[in-house]
Amino acid sequence: MVTSLAIRFIMWVGSVYLVTCATLALGQETEIKNPLTGDPSAIKEGSSLFRANCSPCHGLNAGGGGRGPDLRGGLWVHGASDAAVFRTISQGVPGTEMPANPFEDSEVWALVAYLRSISAVTKTPVAGDVAEGERFFFGKGACGKCHMVKGRGGRLGPDLTRVGAARSVAYLTESIREPDKDLSLAMSDPNNHYGIPAEYDTVTAVTREGKRVIGVAKNEDAFSLQLLGQDEKLHLFLKKDLREVIHERRSLMPAYTESRLNSQELQNLLAYLTSLRGE
Amino acid sequence: MKGATIRVTLAVAGLITVAMPGRSQVTYDRILKAAEEPQNWLTYSGDYKSWRYSKLDQINTSNAGNLALQWAFQSADLGQFETTPLVIDGVLYGTGQDNRAFAVDARTGRAIWRYQRRLPDKVQACCGMVNRGFAALGENLFMATLDGHVLALDMKTGNVIWDVEAADYRQAYVFTVAPLLVKDKIIVGVAGGEYGVRGFIDAYYADSGKRAWRFYTVPGPGEPGHETWAGDSWKTGGAPAWITGSYDPELNLIYWPTGNPSPSNNGAERGGDNLYSNSMLALDADTGKLKWHYQFTPHDLHDYDSTQIPVLLDAPWHGQPRKLLLHANRNGFLYVLDRTNGKFLSATPFFPRLNWAKEIGLDGRPVVMPGSDPTSEGTRTCPGALGATNWFSPSYSPQTGLLYVAAAEECDVFTNAPQKYHEGHDFLGSVYVPATGEKAWGALRAFDPFTGEKKWEFKYFTPPNGGCLSTAGGVVFAGDSDGNFVALDARSGKDLWHIQVGAAIYSSPMTYALDGRQYVVIPAGGTLFAFALP
Repeated sequence: MVTSLAIRFIMWVGSVYLVTCATLALGQETEIKNPLTGDPSAIKEGSSLFRANCSPCHGLNAGGGGRGPDLRGGLWVHGASDAAVFRTISQGVPGTEMPANPFEDSEVWALVAYLRSISAVTKTPVAGDVAEGERFFFGKGACGKCHMVKGRGGRLGPDLTRVGAARSVAYLTESIREPDKDLSLAMSDPNNHYGIPAEYDTVTAVTREGKRVIGVAKNEDAFSLQLLGQDEKLHLFLKKDLREVIHERRSLMPAYTESRLNSQELQNLLAYLTSLRGE
Repeated sequence: MKGATIRVTLAVAGLITVAMPGRSQVTYDRILKAAEEPQNWLTYSGDYKSWRYSKLDQINTSNAGNLALQWAFQSADLGQFETTPLVIDGVLYGTGQDNRAFAVDARTGRAIWRYQRRLPDKVQACCGMVNRGFAALGENLFMATLDGHVLALDMKTGNVIWDVEAADYRQAYVFTVAPLLVKDKIIVGVAGGEYGVRGFIDAYYADSGKRAWRFYTVPGPGEPGHETWAGDSWKTGGAPAWITGSYDPELNLIYWPTGNPSPSNNGAERGGDNLYSNSMLALDADTGKLKWHYQFTPHDLHDYDSTQIPVLLDAPWHGQPRKLLLHANRNGFLYVLDRTNGKFLSATPFFPRLNWAKEIGLDGRPVVMPGSDPTSEGTRTCPGALGATNWFSPSYSPQTGLLYVAAAEECDVFTNAPQKYHEGHDFLGSVYVPATGEKAWGALRAFDPFTGEKKWEFKYFTPPNGGCLSTAGGVVFAGDSDGNFVALDARSGKDLWHIQVGAAIYSSPMTYALDGRQYVVIPAGGTLFAFALP
């Protein structure tokens, strides 16, 4: 325990040091520009590097993946300057899943050039009433029954605290109108088997007595199933006690079609969701 | 401190009494007859035929349900613990992640010594800082390290006896392989197919560490096979050799499989068959000269490494006694070759949705399906990049006559993109992602090796990274990626016993006996677990 505390203290001192350095660096980096901006061969190389190294989390064309945000929106949540994007790529973002990456400087600049080439120049705010959207989310729309925002809401679906920084308006619209269309894919990462992939497919456990428990699987293997039920209770099954486990490639979320959610309500909801950037 | 070694001796060698005094010398003769002393485990795959089969039968189909943990040994933090430990006269020797190694009392799990060759910065290992184990001869253990060195360690103390640099890790040449000892030499093959290395297989004299021979798996100018690489692509051609081969003492041939050409998903710059990538090589054990080769996947675009263990079997083939080589390949076919000359005898698909090739023709070349090449937009291909199986060990049981293979059921979408070579950096030519909406899974499968007919399968929820062991007790032991270590009936696949070990299993089980008790060992996470009957 003593050792553990000592290590924590050293890490705390270390992190204070790092923050100080980063702050100092931030002061200096405002002038640093990407020497490769707009360079077609750098953009090509950046695209290739992105596919090999970044796409497993951010999606093949940077449109967002199972773990990483859509990078095409021009949001630059962790700093929009060339130097800040350079730092985000090379050093990662503490407190998020974005790791540090051991690229050569020229490779980072090629990646920055690529990302600039595919991202929107300016971010247009969604026309809609944020407060109305929030009211709909936690009220009539009942979105908050399954989704959590900043610690408030349900547990069955993905936490949306940062969704505005991670997903495009088009993606959000599709997810609301047709939630089954693009369910998040569990990462198949041969080197990261300790992270349990987040999956939101519908799973139904049928007991020997015929009782059906529907929910999302927090984990599963050949012998057991850890199911978070629609009742928000954890149901821990041994497969030998189950008659059947049914996996459906569909979301538990209902489709919010026009009858549930009119165009104005959708705009308000999108305005609210895109305002959620974890800030 | 760069390159320095740390060694912590946890017990004084002189106080350790081994189970069979006077037998601690591992002679070549003992290794030749390793299968005849099943109380020990003397080579990576159990013997030169690479059956990963044990004659021990104390644990059998009727009592396996009573297996219980006897001891656990913690090597390091959570990770990919890929070692197959050796057991020699009561002491277990294993390697861990990050260039670690250890010796433990095989009765209690208590450490005798620990060793670590500290890793320098920027070691590039595509798939984890792993190591698969030792080879042994005399009083020494042999280990190939992530930073491109080959070491001899003293069995009793872990002291370094000799240390040679085989290749430059800064150019992404790394070793993860368990060496194979043949006569007076230890054989190793290099990894680095994701970084554009030029693959090789090396032999070092066990007594001095002096290199006896090197075989480059990518032929240089003037060598046969060089013409199968367009332009200068051979210089960064990959074809690594990172899994332990097998050996036939009568033919004096080493059988060593090779991995993918680099860059793995883009063949535009490397026109040709790209020999000897994705091949089985038969090398003269004394000289390293190539006797024959057979290429499973010419001009590969899907990372179908052929780095799977070759299983040697003498058996009748269409009525004639034949020296066979069985190979369950990552590309989804189960091959039978004549190991005297490399002649192709048969190939049966063992991945039902296989779609990259129609079949393997009578000439031994795959009939590639049109439209299966990676494209910029992506092409769904089966098996996926991690393969129908992979490096983890198969097992052959002479008792059942079945070949056991851990198989993955995953299709991927392969894309390609141009990529410049930067020394020591990824050289993949793009990426693959799992096919959308298709749940990947896996299974341990039992095959008739001659017909390829599947006799049974035990389903895994996710694709496996662990291999299997079969025993004379009629049991197959295997580990899955969900952390389950299982004992199955070798004839039916019935689950006899299983235990959750708390981390994905990235290794293949082994077994030994001590004090009249049979133990089965599986590494997982950073821990070795030893099980026996109560």
